[in-house]
Amino acid sequence: MTKRSILALVGALALGAVAIPAGAHHSAAMFDPAKEVALTGVVKEFQYTNPHSWLLVDVKNKDGSVTTWGFEAEGPSTLLRAGIHRGDFAPGTAIAIKGSPHRDGRPAAAWISATRLSDKKDFNPRAGFAIR
Amino acid sequence: MVNRKRALWMGATLLLVAALGLRFTLAKDEVPGWLNKGENWPAQKQKLQAYGERFKTSWDLYQSLRQAAGAAKGPDWARMAEPAFDWSGVYTRSGGGLEFDPDLKGPLPPTTARLTPAGQAVVDRKTDQIKRTGGEYDPLSDCRPPGVPRWFSEPFLHEFIVTPKQTWLINEMVNDVRRVYTDGREHTPEADAYPLTNGDTIGFWDGDTLVTHTRDLMAGQYQRGVQPDFSEQTQIVERWHKVDARTVQADVWVFDPVNLKAPWYTRQSWTKLTNDDSALRLRYWDCRENSNNAITKKGDGTSEFETFDFEKSPKR
Repeated sequence: MTKRSILALVGALALGAVAIPAGAHHSAAMFDPAKEVALTGVVKEFQYTNPHSWLLVDVKNKDGSVTTWGFEAEGPSTLLRAGIHRGDFAPGTAIAIKGSPHRDGRPAAAWISATRLSDKKDFNPRAGFAIR
Repeated sequence: MVNRKRALWMGATLLLVAALGLRFTLAKDEVPGWLNKGENWPAQKQKLQAYGERFKTSWDLYQSLRQAAGAAKGPDWARMAEPAFDWSGVYTRSGGGLEFDPDLKGPLPPTTARLTPAGQAVVDRKTDQIKRTGGEYDPLSDCRPPGVPRWFSEPFLHEFIVTPKQTWLINEMVNDVRRVYTDGREHTPEADAYPLTNGDTIGFWDGDTLVTHTRDLMAGQYQRGVQPDFSEQTQIVERWHKVDARTVQADVWVFDPVNLKAPWYTRQSWTKLTNDDSALRLRYWDCRENSNNAITKKGDGTSEFETFDFEKSPKR
């Protein structure tokens, strides 16, 4: 077992404490929970929508081109419970973000965590299922 | 001769009435009161399961509970502010992930339902599907409502609105409202009944416990994964109770002769969320507002996103 997969397993067990799969409206099998993609980019748009939200991030590639990645999370009420507000990711906000990538290679992922680079604030959308 | 026949019929009728009376009297004596979920929960749960199994139909169970409640009247408006009837606040499911029985844990746990061969075949097929492909397709992906009894196992925000003549049980997901009529009406007449997403629910108050009966349901599945299906013949008895300042729970007995050998008893629970700034509110849930969420069913029975368009904003 690689270090990355061990970390993924530990993370999965920790998330098990709140025990809701990433895709509460659909099967999450299209994302690969054993893999993780970590990117740095600039927010293009925060689609704060039901049943799932999408954080669109423009990521500069090595050749200078730009790819727009979509990071899927739960809808607004669950994000709000995680302390993630629509205004936290205004267009142009620089962030580092991690997710479980889409299996077919398209630039999409299930959002695991993000850090806003201006103030180093972390955002974990799955914390929205914790009961407080 | 005629008088002898009449006497025999009268005697038989009296015996039948006495037998029925005895049945309900016994049931009344043995109706388990509300049991809080403590250390001995497995034994208590078994007691509630066994109670449900005493009845051939959900209606018999409901009538037993109605008989036990006697002539108790439900709360009027003056009592709505009492803690037992004030269920205000924003709640979410207390635990259990997406398992219909919250006592179950793990990715593919065996169900606690006692399944008929037909019900078991459905579970076997789902188990094979997931083991073979690693995925499945959920009808909710197409923005359909979960329906009752799946309603119980859905997460997200809930509100419970208690009034003297109706109680509304609300899940924010797809604006899903169950209406419980407690004004004394009976179910829709058979001639006018048809399958409904959430069925037809009537109820009454036994002290501070709301007892309900639901029928006229559409077929569906209890949840994703390897959980059983339920048929149109499903009927449900529930007992709702506010356990403490932050907890509302329900005893749920599901009857389904197609999929279940015996009624399936579960204890469902919701916890009131801290909402000091009142930021958590149930908003209209438009499931199709963002085309990036469109899901399609693949040929192997799994799910896939239809398309991504990260250039276009959702319609507002």
